Amino acid sequence: MRFLKLNENGEPAAAVRADGDFDSWLARRRWARAGILYSVMVVFAILFVGPLLFAGISSLRVNPLEYPPSIFLDELNPRNWVTAGRLGRAGSGDVIQGGFAPGAELSFEIEYFVPEDTEVVPPEIEIPRRRPGAGLGATREVRFAADYAELTDPREIERVSGTHTVGDRTWDGMFVRYEIEIEYVGGGPLIDRVPLDALAESDHIYVESTLPASRLERRGRVASFTNVVPGVVPYIFRNYVRLFDEARSPSTGKPLFLAWTRNSFFVAFIRVITNVLFASMAGYALARYRFRGKYLVFIALLFSQMVPAQVTFISNYLLLRDGLFGLASLMGRETLLNSLWGVIIAGAGSGAAMIQAAMVFVMKQFFETIPRDVEEAALIDGANQWQRYSRVVLPMARPALGAVTILTFQGTWNEFFWPLIVLTSPQEVKTLPVGLLAFRQAYGAAGDWGLILAGAIMSAIPVIVLFIVFQKYFMQGVAFGGSKE
Amino acid sequence: MDSIKTPAGAGTPKKPQIRIRNSSLREQLGAYLFLSPFLIFLAIFFAYSTGRALYFSFTDYNLFSDPQWVGFQNYLRLFSQSLFLRALQNTLLFSIIVTTIQTFLALIMATVLNQKIRGLGFFRAAYYMPSIASSVVITLIFMWMYQRRGLINYLWTEVSRHAPIIMTFLLLLGLLQFIQVYVERRRGFPAQWLDPALFVTSLFLSVLGTLGAWSTGLISVRQIPPVDFIWLQTRERIPAVMPSFLRLPVPLVAIMIQNIFTTIPTLMIMYLAALQGVSTSLYEAAQIDGAGKIRRFVNITIPSVRPVTFLVVTLSLIGTLQLFDQVAIFGGTVPLESVITLSYFVYERMFPGAQLPQVGLASAAAMFLAFFTLAAVLLQRLLIKTEVD
Repeated sequence: MRFLKLNENGEPAAAVRADGDFDSWLARRRWARAGILYSVMVVFAILFVGPLLFAGISSLRVNPLEYPPSIFLDELNPRNWVTAGRLGRAGSGDVIQGGFAPGAELSFEIEYFVPEDTEVVPPEIEIPRRRPGAGLGATREVRFAADYAELTDPREIERVSGTHTVGDRTWDGMFVRYEIEIEYVGGGPLIDRVPLDALAESDHIYVESTLPASRLERRGRVASFTNVVPGVVPYIFRNYVRLFDEARSPSTGKPLFLAWTRNSFFVAFIRVITNVLFASMAGYALARYRFRGKYLVFIALLFSQMVPAQVTFISNYLLLRDGLFGLASLMGRETLLNSLWGVIIAGAGSGAAMIQAAMVFVMKQFFETIPRDVEEAALIDGANQWQRYSRVVLPMARPALGAVTILTFQGTWNEFFWPLIVLTSPQEVKTLPVGLLAFRQAYGAAGDWGLILAGAIMSAIPVIVLFIVFQKYFMQGVAFGGSKE
Repeated sequence: MDSIKTPAGAGTPKKPQIRIRNSSLREQLGAYLFLSPFLIFLAIFFAYSTGRALYFSFTDYNLFSDPQWVGFQNYLRLFSQSLFLRALQNTLLFSIIVTTIQTFLALIMATVLNQKIRGLGFFRAAYYMPSIASSVVITLIFMWMYQRRGLINYLWTEVSRHAPIIMTFLLLLGLLQFIQVYVERRRGFPAQWLDPALFVTSLFLSVLGTLGAWSTGLISVRQIPPVDFIWLQTRERIPAVMPSFLRLPVPLVAIMIQNIFTTIPTLMIMYLAALQGVSTSLYEAAQIDGAGKIRRFVNITIPSVRPVTFLVVTLSLIGTLQLFDQVAIFGGTVPLESVITLSYFVYERMFPGAQLPQVGLASAAAMFLAFFTLAAVLLQRLLIKTEVD
């Protein structure tokens, strides 16, 4: 630092060394600084996006808790996609969806390593009757592939001697390859999956198979396959297919995740409309009118943003329970609890509401930037107050309305506390965040994180897409938060 | 807009006969009509509900019988409930620690990123990504990473396995940088200790050196069993060196880490907006006077973003005081008293499962929350006021 002499541009004075190479000395530093800066930024990006991205990749795994974590998954290997498609076609003629249909005939190969001095015994193969998933899927009636499929005994097709290494141990012995034929006997329904378990003699080590085993137990003696007729999509997006297939409403039999998604869209859609309409009206009045009690309205506005949701929800819950001054009876209900309209109309906390104070602020701020001349011209033309607002000012407020739309959608889509209070039963009345909690409760205890992660990722996709497309509105929202004072 | 018909002559600038600002009765009425949906909403769902919660806090009420006035009894009873005291302690510790750490880190990150380079917008957007997803999504992902055989324990294992290699690398890096800067200064160049060009060279050479030492077996990966730290299902409190009242329950620390992770980007973007308004000539002047990076940070950066700091601290305090989502989502997988917060205490008293709701107690606890929130906001106003004076 002592050596640093600077000229008025903030750069070190060139007189330090008489050599002509000082410019290139500085240039090197500029390049290096830019390089380091970009590297730091990339590291930050990995840090912040990493968990989301990694969860997204792991949600493709049969068991996302498999240790060690990895991003090089069987499910992401194109060779397995081709095999999955081929098996799907053999099972049902459908490369994409897979399945097991009458008349299907397919063969599946498994290779074991048998150390020297061990008798070679073919594995025992069976199609297990496993119910899919725990919790929410458990009540559903399922058809078991075991009732329709016929297995041949494993037929040895190849035997090669060689050495096999696991960790730091190496054995001499044989690689033995078996073929199993699976056949759909007689007629029957289309079955979506055929699981397979292969139990080998002790000391036999699983090496590979047509599709890699989904799970290995007892050091490779038991190899489990969740589905040997997957088709491409169920193979790659297994947990996502389960999401729509497995967790169903006990009463209607419809997929819960679809119902929750629909509910979330409905609540967000209505909230966007109410905010665009009512917040812009309120913002307009605050920006343009002088009236008695304006100061009081401002105080109320600020106050409403400060009251925690935990204070207001008690009364709001009771109001909904008792039908909101008879409003519920207009809809033919006794209570507005467990109703999406209850979530929409009432609210707790300032993060998301039918008419959000923050959105009133955004609109007020924007209307103040529109010159009054426009309205005065309309006034001369005889436009009344409503026309001045709806025909003159509102069409000019498109950017602000865009911001209100996006921010309201995001806030409502992500809202958790208030829907958790209002929507408790049945399952299909919930919105996505509350529903995901139900997933966590039903599947988390069983350690079945595939479905939970898939649900989390799926439910985040709409806001992520919205963010990528309308990034500047989000950034404005944050910057606005910073300029509120 | 085009639906408005413009009569001839309207384009010429002419003073309008009726002025909009004229606050006639009609205008007053108009204003209130425009405001009416919002005011009705505020009246019912904020004013009325706040008043009602205040009233409930002085009553004994279980949602089914009529409220009985009991005066300040609920407030007194709260302090005899160990769960409430735990909630209070957790909330205050969480709020203060998380606010401090995330404000500090956000400011440092914003300072690092406050450069005029291409592609900043892209990176800013990338950092903001975790903040747009819902707290449920992020909490579920973190819960998954906090599992005993999850990503966090895995990374911990890998780092401790490779500790000798990492240490060698860092030592080499420091040593090489020192030697290079020394040589460069002897040659008469004004190299700083963190000279970027030399740093790149040091980095490259120390990677080579470390790889060399690793491949020749001079240093090697430690053989240790996988880290099996229990983040969620535990009553352990850390750090063990602290006196017991300052130790934090491990699951609460897990929520802290997650909260800091998701909030930093938002705060950083606020800081970045403020920093871009700070004139570069200030820094240059300080540099001419020989102020180092740290002194410039302390004496220029921190004072010039002070108003934003007040805002950031207030927002963080409010957000952390009202911590609820993470606690509710962790739910039964963690011991309740390790993570319970005031917000969750209110919810839990309101919907206690098999027992009767204690609305009075819940309301009284909610008043504490409101009080803390209000105090945070008032403190900020006060600080800004003294700043202006």
